[in-house]
Amino acid sequence: MNNAPGQITLEEWDERYEQLRRAGLRETGYGGPLGRHVGDGDRRLLKLRYDNSVASLRLWNFLLTEEDRLHNARAEGKRIVGTMKDLGTVPVMAYSLDNVVAFYPDGAWWIPCVMELSAGLLETADSLGIDESFCPVRAMLGAFVTGAHFPVPDQLVCSVGATCDDFSVIAQRLNGLGYPILWWEIPHRRFPEVDEAAVRLPGGFCAPKRQVEFVKSELERVRAALEGLAGQRLDDKKLSAGIQKANEVRRYLAELRHITFTAKVCPLPALEMLIAEMLAIHFCSDRDETISVLKELIDEVKTRVQAGKGVLGADAARIFWVNPVADLQVMNLLEECGGRICGTEYLFSHALDTIPEELPPAEALARMALADPMVGSSVDRAERICADIRRFGSEAVLISRIPGASHCALEGEVIAEVVQSRLEVPVLEIEVPPVTDSIRPTLGTRLEALIETVKERRKK
Amino acid sequence: MKTIIYTCPYVPAEWIAAHGLRPSRIMPGAAGSTSSVGRTEGVCPYVRGFVNEVIMNTQASGVVVTTVCDQMRRAFDIIMRRCKLPAFLMNVPSTWQSVAAHKLYLDELRRLGEFLVRLGGKSPSSCALAKVMLEYDTARTSVLTTRGYLTSSQYSELIAEFNRDGKSGITTTINEKKPFTGGIPLAIIGGPLLREDFGIFDVVENSGGRIVLDAAETGERGMCARFDLRRLRDGPLIELSNAYFGSIPDAFRRPNNQLYNWLKRELACREVRGIIFWRYIWCDIWHAELHRLKQWANLPVLDIDVSGDEQALTVRTTQRIHAFLEMLQ
Repeated sequence: MNNAPGQITLEEWDERYEQLRRAGLRETGYGGPLGRHVGDGDRRLLKLRYDNSVASLRLWNFLLTEEDRLHNARAEGKRIVGTMKDLGTVPVMAYSLDNVVAFYPDGAWWIPCVMELSAGLLETADSLGIDESFCPVRAMLGAFVTGAHFPVPDQLVCSVGATCDDFSVIAQRLNGLGYPILWWEIPHRRFPEVDEAAVRLPGGFCAPKRQVEFVKSELERVRAALEGLAGQRLDDKKLSAGIQKANEVRRYLAELRHITFTAKVCPLPALEMLIAEMLAIHFCSDRDETISVLKELIDEVKTRVQAGKGVLGADAARIFWVNPVADLQVMNLLEECGGRICGTEYLFSHALDTIPEELPPAEALARMALADPMVGSSVDRAERICADIRRFGSEAVLISRIPGASHCALEGEVIAEVVQSRLEVPVLEIEVPPVTDSIRPTLGTRLEALIETVKERRKK
Repeated sequence: MKTIIYTCPYVPAEWIAAHGLRPSRIMPGAAGSTSSVGRTEGVCPYVRGFVNEVIMNTQASGVVVTTVCDQMRRAFDIIMRRCKLPAFLMNVPSTWQSVAAHKLYLDELRRLGEFLVRLGGKSPSSCALAKVMLEYDTARTSVLTTRGYLTSSQYSELIAEFNRDGKSGITTTINEKKPFTGGIPLAIIGGPLLREDFGIFDVVENSGGRIVLDAAETGERGMCARFDLRRLRDGPLIELSNAYFGSIPDAFRRPNNQLYNWLKRELACREVRGIIFWRYIWCDIWHAELHRLKQWANLPVLDIDVSGDEQALTVRTTQRIHAFLEMLQ
């Protein structure tokens, strides 16, 4: 059996799985060959290339069995919270209660990709007046209506205010269809006025103290709702413990990102890194297991880095990626074109920063929520991207537009201007729909052009 | 007098005027090919028009932008980078049912006041604010009483004029006028109109209809409630906040049932027989309401999507309106 790091197809994975199993592979309850998920309709899996490590096998299986976990949680009598839009805040609260699990129905935006449009979710959204001029997150609406992809949550909680219009209107549409939603306000993060009390946020942004207090009061409303749902108190002690646990996840992720993005040879592909980062926002419905999955990935990348081995060539162009892709295959495409990911801003950097543990927990969470790169100006976001580019040594920035998303129309121009003026690195914008098959040659050409530019610049 | 420009109905003109500055709620024209925004795809034409208007404006001393939609919130970044005009981004909460949301709006008004003082305005006493509010209230009422006595086009232009110039310039009297009757009563519902869009009212009248409810953001829907005189005396700023934040219904609010409650009342009392739904392409907030409105209204709804080029009222739009009215005959 070849154990050199590499990327393999699903078919190759299933063969490898059999070899590993015969060699004594030990797995968790959700383990098994990846190919079985195609039977659930996840046809895109057939076209992806995967990291060949056991750690990545576990990561993929963990991701692809989340729906089962949610159904099991319900069967066990746990309460399910559908937390929407805030990407990382409310789940920390929910998982502080021992009889609550939380997940993001927003994640349904990947279903059209994974099922290659066969689930009919976008058609359902169309029929409800939410057509292709909206962000692919409209698939969430279809997922609620069909009820085929996740159990309907016992409580929906959605942040609004300084959020994208697409999500806000889709959540409102859902509300109009009879799904009650607890709305909480996240205001646009602004600079403190002269002489106004200010606080430092995780990640480095600054905000007026009164904005933090406002968000804290909003989160207190959420806390009360969660207590009502759980039938138990969510006191500061429990919340602090929940924050500590979330920080454990975040520290492991920070370590994984640092090792992977700064290694001379890329030890873990972009796709697996994207999925690992996503675990931070709601722990894929199992916080403890998330920690175990991340630990195993860290062990794997450490081993590879120590051995000087990786999955891509040492000369791969170091790309900073902005915004998540609606089609996962594009992460493979970047690598096929000669690039690797060295830095990301997938809309939820605030879910990667550790939450202050020395503060009262509600205030700490309020600060974290306000550190969301999307609730402030695009200039703030660009500054954070610049800081991470310096940290990870990225050589170019790729802004991946989400079709129809309200923020993508104007932010790219600002981010590109700021990054180019501060760091003089090349910036490219592309648009990635849920299934890119028809535009793959065009996308490939654009990615190759960026990578060639990076490599030419190295010669100067 | 220094002029402060804005376009959002949640910015109270009275607050700016009470600071000794001239509020002007502008109505942008279509940006067309002269847009200052780099991209056009995905960008709401109204936002493009507004950014263009602000950047080209040589008369204003300051601009106020609000957070009622994501693109406008992000347009603030563009304005800050493309022009030197002092700019203020006002947080208008999407939620409205909590005391905290009202308090946030009130805090933002106070912060806006500090911005106005920095531009040369003078912080008003409660008495001075109350006086300005009363003047505006009287002028606003006089505008509203002309409804039915002017053509729908004249009426909506009068509202736009009031928004742009405040209390001055309202000279209309209705004493000797007879109310307009006839024409199929229609409502126009949607976001704000661009300058070029105002021809819609004449198109409707020329096709045998009459807009009896201007529920565009630039119309009656975007006007605040009348002030309560007792509350105005006791605490004018709080009453100002109540009349604006507490009463203007809009699609962006969460939840937005306040809009539907308002529409239910107004559509019924004006005996509306059909709805023209006016929306800009890439305006998610209004686009998403179209389907719901069609299911909810129990009235025929004509969807007009506007691209915001310089010919808003295309032949196609005109013909669609004509056909719609023919169907309603």
